[in-house]
This record gives sequence, structure tokens and C-alpha cells, in this order.
Amino acid sequence: MSVARDRARYIGWRLAQAVPTLLLIVTLNFLLVHLAPGNAADVLAGEAGSATPQYMAVLRHEFGLDQPLYVQYLDYLRNVVSLDLGYSFREGMPVRDLIATRLGPTLLLMGTTIVLSIGLGVLLGLLAGTRPNSLRDNVISVFALVSYATPLFWVGLMLIVLFAIELRWLPTSGMVNIAAFYTGWAKVGDIARHLVLPAITLSLFYMALYVRLMRASVLEQRDMDYVVTARSKGLTERAITYRHVLRNASLPIVTMAGVQIGNLLGGSVVVETVFGWPGIGLLAYKALFARDLNLLLGVFFVAACLVILVNIVVDVIYTMLDPRIALR
Amino acid sequence: MTNRRDFLQTLAASGAILLPGHALAQGSPKQGGTLVMDILPEPPTLASYLSTSGPIGQVSAKFYDGLCEYDFNLKPVPSLATSWTMSGDGKTVTFKLRDGVKFHDGSPFSSADVQFTFMDVLKKFHPRGINTFRSLQAVDAPDPQTAVFHLDTPAPYMMMALSGYESPIVPKKLFAGTDIQNSKYANNPVGTGPFKFVEWQRGQYMRFDRNPDYWRPGQPHLDRIVARFIGDAQTRSAAMQTQEINYGGFGAIPYFDVGRLTKIPGIASTTRGYEMQSPIVELDFNTRVKPFDDVRVRRAISYAIDRKFVIDNIWFGFGKPATGPISSNFAPSGIYTSDVRNYNVPNGVEMANKLLDEAGYPRKGDGTRFEIVHDVTPYGDEWQRFGEYVKQALAKIGIKATIRYEDVPTWLRRIYTDYDFQLTSNWLQNLADPVIGIDREYSSWSIKKGTVFVNGTGWSSPETDKLMKDAAVEIDPKKRADLYHQFQKLVVDAVPLIWVFELQFVTVYDTRFKNLVVSPLGTYSPFNAVYVES
Repeated sequence: MSVARDRARYIGWRLAQAVPTLLLIVTLNFLLVHLAPGNAADVLAGEAGSATPQYMAVLRHEFGLDQPLYVQYLDYLRNVVSLDLGYSFREGMPVRDLIATRLGPTLLLMGTTIVLSIGLGVLLGLLAGTRPNSLRDNVISVFALVSYATPLFWVGLMLIVLFAIELRWLPTSGMVNIAAFYTGWAKVGDIARHLVLPAITLSLFYMALYVRLMRASVLEQRDMDYVVTARSKGLTERAITYRHVLRNASLPIVTMAGVQIGNLLGGSVVVETVFGWPGIGLLAYKALFARDLNLLLGVFFVAACLVILVNIVVDVIYTMLDPRIALR
Repeated sequence: MTNRRDFLQTLAASGAILLPGHALAQGSPKQGGTLVMDILPEPPTLASYLSTSGPIGQVSAKFYDGLCEYDFNLKPVPSLATSWTMSGDGKTVTFKLRDGVKFHDGSPFSSADVQFTFMDVLKKFHPRGINTFRSLQAVDAPDPQTAVFHLDTPAPYMMMALSGYESPIVPKKLFAGTDIQNSKYANNPVGTGPFKFVEWQRGQYMRFDRNPDYWRPGQPHLDRIVARFIGDAQTRSAAMQTQEINYGGFGAIPYFDVGRLTKIPGIASTTRGYEMQSPIVELDFNTRVKPFDDVRVRRAISYAIDRKFVIDNIWFGFGKPATGPISSNFAPSGIYTSDVRNYNVPNGVEMANKLLDEAGYPRKGDGTRFEIVHDVTPYGDEWQRFGEYVKQALAKIGIKATIRYEDVPTWLRRIYTDYDFQLTSNWLQNLADPVIGIDREYSSWSIKKGTVFVNGTGWSSPETDKLMKDAAVEIDPKKRADLYHQFQKLVVDAVPLIWVFELQFVTVYDTRFKNLVVSPLGTYSPFNAVYVES
């Protein structure tokens, strides 16, 4: 009862804290992106491959680039506060709508990656850590090291060569079969088939991190006093591992996962590019090179919100794993 | 008995078909099939009446028609206009318009749409239209099937800018009285073209379905065209190999992969269909600053560049040496001449060294004459390799170059606003006519700080200015060609930039699809005649 109330109060407090943090992030982001030379009008006209001075003036005026910086900042702040993230002149769409259409695929890829990488990472790390320096440990450690050290884009391309070109089991890229326009369950299956390669590519890298972390963590825990106590109580190794060691060893994994969410958004740019996955990383990447600042700031804002939210969730998970950690 | 070509042209003029001779002979088209194109990068919008960005044109030409299309002799042929006549003084052009054409929303197309499109949209907002239609004063619509263009000076180049890609006809009914730059029909386009816009999933694909009411009877043959945007070059090649995509134009398939892919049965490539683009790979000098204010230094560097080496080793053979500002693609209209100073000579390095000595830049103790920074245009890997080549070529004549590579906005700002460069690689297209593609790069009135892809070298001369002005209003083709010959001679002598080579774009396609490249507009064509062999 009181635990639930504490938890609710804690979450409320953390959310309130998030507001000034977000404002700070928004301001810093705004200043940072305006440091980049060149502007959206240059790029748009540059892409057109031709322009007249009249055309450039029209663009600058339309984008508000003829306004002083503080006016642009206040405009932007007003947009953020009202949760209207502004308009992407380049894409001819409100930023909010653009991000909304891309958030789904990103969350799908991220979610699958987190589940796959943590699940496999914890399992393999546990297998390696419980029998250190055995053949099993060595095989797993080498596998993790290779996965970690291989560049993402290369893994992606090799998977495409093997599974899409040679075996023809899976599509090379995209999220749906373009020529088919499936609906209903056929569409779900289609998306799942397209998800396989990007999710594996991205998961391999993060899995490697979790394997190494979990292995180290298990090694540390298995010599702790409570393990000796449990063993002297006559518990089986299996019970000790699953009931005691696993829980304690998982804390660093949760911490890492919280931090990784932010990285995952950035790291997926490579995978999104290689597999043509329509996610938010690619959107941000394109926005940067087009100096589409409204869109770029919008993506940053959503990413910041996501990271803050995930970290609150992580802190709550801590207390579930280890009741000694109190919410304050 | 008329020959086959004349017969086809008659047919084309009557609007029954629009195919150059060789394309008709390829079996009988069947209806059906989906063509998947890869477009690079994803278009920012579909408003081709507001932006000339290449990727937009690749799709917009499927749903917007123009008054004309063009044949491989770079002559206008009928599209929405069935015929046209120009008055003796060249100041009035009367277009007869096709009867019974409907927009995708079912409303009829008429001269009012033509009047509105040219006067209220293209002349005001189109990046090139503002210039192309500068002498267009009014469009009269005496009846629904007649549009009369009134010009204050003759504008022979205007006739080259009437394709659905360059000057798309939009429906007046949906645009009149609205904010043209923020129209809700920008990304929900309504045209008269062979394919109708259906949906755009950002980051994934665009879908266009067959327009059953298209004005060419029995066309289009395809049920659907889908455009995809795969960011990674290797993945695009892989998708071409697995036939997930069937068509990639404008270098969507990287040059180094073309040879490998076209060895696979069922995949082929062509460099036709870019005759109205004519890109030229250049090295631009900043002629405002030392040492490039000296024509001898500019000539020296022009002599020092081995064009053939660059084409063969960096662009995998997709190009031919350029002789001057105007591409040899203009040979059919007589505008091009190769009778200019020739920098592409075997003893170029020797000539260069001699010129630099004369210009007062002798080799110092360490063998160098002076140092420069060489900017590389940020449009892909080839350009970086080209930059490395230039560095080596300059080293041979005693110039030490440091390479600088920045992103697109930074580079544009440096070259066209800050003028803070010495020598940069670049590429500009000649486009459909010198007035559109050449004036912007060499005229004094095109030195416009802050406007991109205009005269960035800062060079101009009263003689060449006059030649360009005269040629713009000269309606006699022979006299006009002569003016451009004089122009080429003078500009090549002054060498404000180095014309390295005429870049050839390459289209890679799935050979089950026929009639893909039937005009000089290539990928910018409507694809009404494309069909798939079962």
C-alpha cells in the first residue's frame, strides 16, 4: 500500500524535475544547432541546383531566417511549450506529424533490439560467468568480442549478401513489401520478415556489451558472502544462480539499459541507412545535413523526453530488483 | 512513301503516340505490372512548381504534364499543347491545347490553367522559372483550347523549358486564391499525367497508380509506379540484384557497381536520357584572389589536369573530356563548338610549368611555387578521390594543395556567400538551353552573393555579357549558334574555371521493363509508354 503511494509520489517528483531539465536541453540544443554554418535556404536552393536572388529571399523570409536569433528562439520556445514542435519547411509537414510517423518503426526496432540483446546477453553472460575459463566461457567471450568489434554496417551488408541475395530468404531493405501492399496479418508477417535483419544487426552489438557486463557481474557476485551462506544452507547451484546471483548481477544491466536507450537512437542511424528502415535516427541525420533545424530540434526533444522517461522507469525497476534501494 | 521516321513523327504530332523510332519495335505492350524506382535522396516535397530539386522531378513528371515533351534532337514535340506558332518578331507564341484532357480530380484542363500556371506560379515562385519566363508579360486565353504568350523580348530558350518536369501545369481551380507556397495540394498533387498520386509513407515509399482517364488512349501500360528511397549505396545494388527495385537513375547505383550488376542477366544500363541535363565536372577558381586573378595561372592549372585519367579512374569511364562551358550535347542544335583553345594536350605539365614561371611564381628551394587550399564539393566519394587527384596533379607543377571537405550547407556558404575559397571542385548542369544553364555561371548579373549555383568565380567580361544578352533574344538559330561560338572562344581563353569533363549519368534497370528511356528527359519523363514483359 504505502509502497505504491511512495512510488507514485516519487514518479510525480521525478516528472516535475524533468521540466527544468528539458527546458535546459531545449535551450542548449537551439544554440548548438545554430552554430552550424549555412542554413536551410542554402540547402534547399542548393538541391534545386539553381536559384535566383528573389527565390532565395522568398525562402529566407518563409523560414523566418531573416529574423534576429532571439526572436527565432522565443518562437521556438513557444512552440515547445505548446507541444507544437513547429513546421518543417523542407518536408512541408508539421514536425510533430513527421516524428509521429517515424516513431513507430523506431520503437519497434528499438524494442526488439532491447529484448533480444538483453535476453541473449544476460543468458550468455550467465552461462559464461558461472563456469569461468571453461570452453563454454571462451566460446561465448570470443563471440561477444567479435560481435562488439565488427562495424555495424559491415555486419548488415554481410547479412544482406547471405540472407537476401544468396539464400533469398529475407528482403534486403525497407519495412514492407512495396509492390505488394499487404493488409491485416499478412502485413504483420511482412513487417516481421523485414525486421529480422536490422534487429539482428543492431542486437549483436548491444548483446556483446551485456554479455561482458553480465559475465563480470556474475563473477563478482558468486564469491559474495550470501552465496557462501546459501551454499552452506544446502541450496543447489542452480537455485543459487537463478534465485540469488541472477537478481543481484542484473542491477548493472538495468543501469546500462537505461543509458543505452539514448545511444540506441543514435546507433540505429547506421542500421536504418543500410536497411532503409524508416526510423527517427535517419530523419535526424537528414535534418542535420539539410539544416532543417525545426525538425532536428524536434527529434532532439523527443529523444530527450524518451531518455528521461526510461531513466525514471529504470529507477523504479531498481527498487523491484533490490528492495534495499529506496525511492526518495 | 514516307520513311518510317517521318511516319512516326506524324503520329507523334497527332498525339497518338510519342515514341522515338527505335522504341516502337519492341513487341506489343500489355497492361499491368508495378515498376519500383529507387530515388536518391527522398524528395523533400512533391511541389515541382516550387522546387527544381532532382528527386522531385523524378516522380513529379509522372503526375504533372507540360505543354511539350522533347525528342532526341532536342526539339519540342506535343504534349498538352498539340501545336504552336511563333510570330515573326518572336514576341508572340500561340499554343493550341489538347481537347478532352482531365485532371486527376475529374475537372477539365483548359487555357485558364495554362495562364494561371505560368503567370501566377512558375513566373513568381519556380527557382528557374523566375529567370526563364522573365520576358513573359501576359498569357491570353481567348478560348479554352488556345493560350497566347506575350513576350517583351523574343525568348527562344523558353520553348526548351516546357516539359512536365520543368514547367508542370497545375489546376487553377485548386490553387487560385490560395497561398501557393503552402498549398495543401503540394504533397497531394492533382495533375493530368499518366499516374495518380496515391500515398507517401515518409522514409519508405511513394505510390502512384494508373490514371484510367489519361489522354493518350490505351496508356499508361503499368498499373503502378512505386518510388523507394534506400540511403545506402550497397543496399541499393543488392535490392537491384534481387529485383526489389527495377530502376535507378541519376547514379542511384554507384558507378563502381554498374559493371558488376550489368553482367547479371536481366540487368542493363544506359547513359541516354540525360541530354537535357548535361552536367559538367568543373574546378572553379576564385578569380578575386591571388594567384587566380592571373589568367596565366588559371591556364596553367587547366593544362595540368589529365582529363582522361580522371574519367577512367575516378568515374569508371562515364564521361568524355569537356572542351568548354557548353556541353557537346548541344551539337544537334549547332550551339556547341570544339573550336576553342585546347587545354587537353599531352604536354600539359610542361605548358603549365612554363606559364607559372612567366606569371612570376618560380619554384622555391623545396620545389614548390605556392600553397593553396582545395575545397572538395560534398556530393559523394568520387569527389573526394577527385580532390586527391587534383592535389597530386598540382604537386607535379609545384603547387602544394591542402584538401578541405565540409558538409553541403557549409560548402555552399563558403563558395556562394562568403567567397572564402581559392579552388573548388564543382558540377553544374547546362540544362535545356544556355540561357538557363550558362548565363547563371558566367554573366556579371549572376554574381549574386547568397544565391547558390550562380557565378561564384567572380569572373565576367563586357564582351561575353553582350554575347549572352544578344543570344538570349536571337530567334534565328544560325545567328544564335554563331553568338554562342564566339562566347565559347572568349570564355575558354579566360578560363574562369576548368571544364574537366562531361559527366554521364547512368540508369540501371531491370530488362523485363521496356520503353524506360524514350526521350532526352529520361527519368524525368512520364513513363506512359513503359510496359513489362511477362
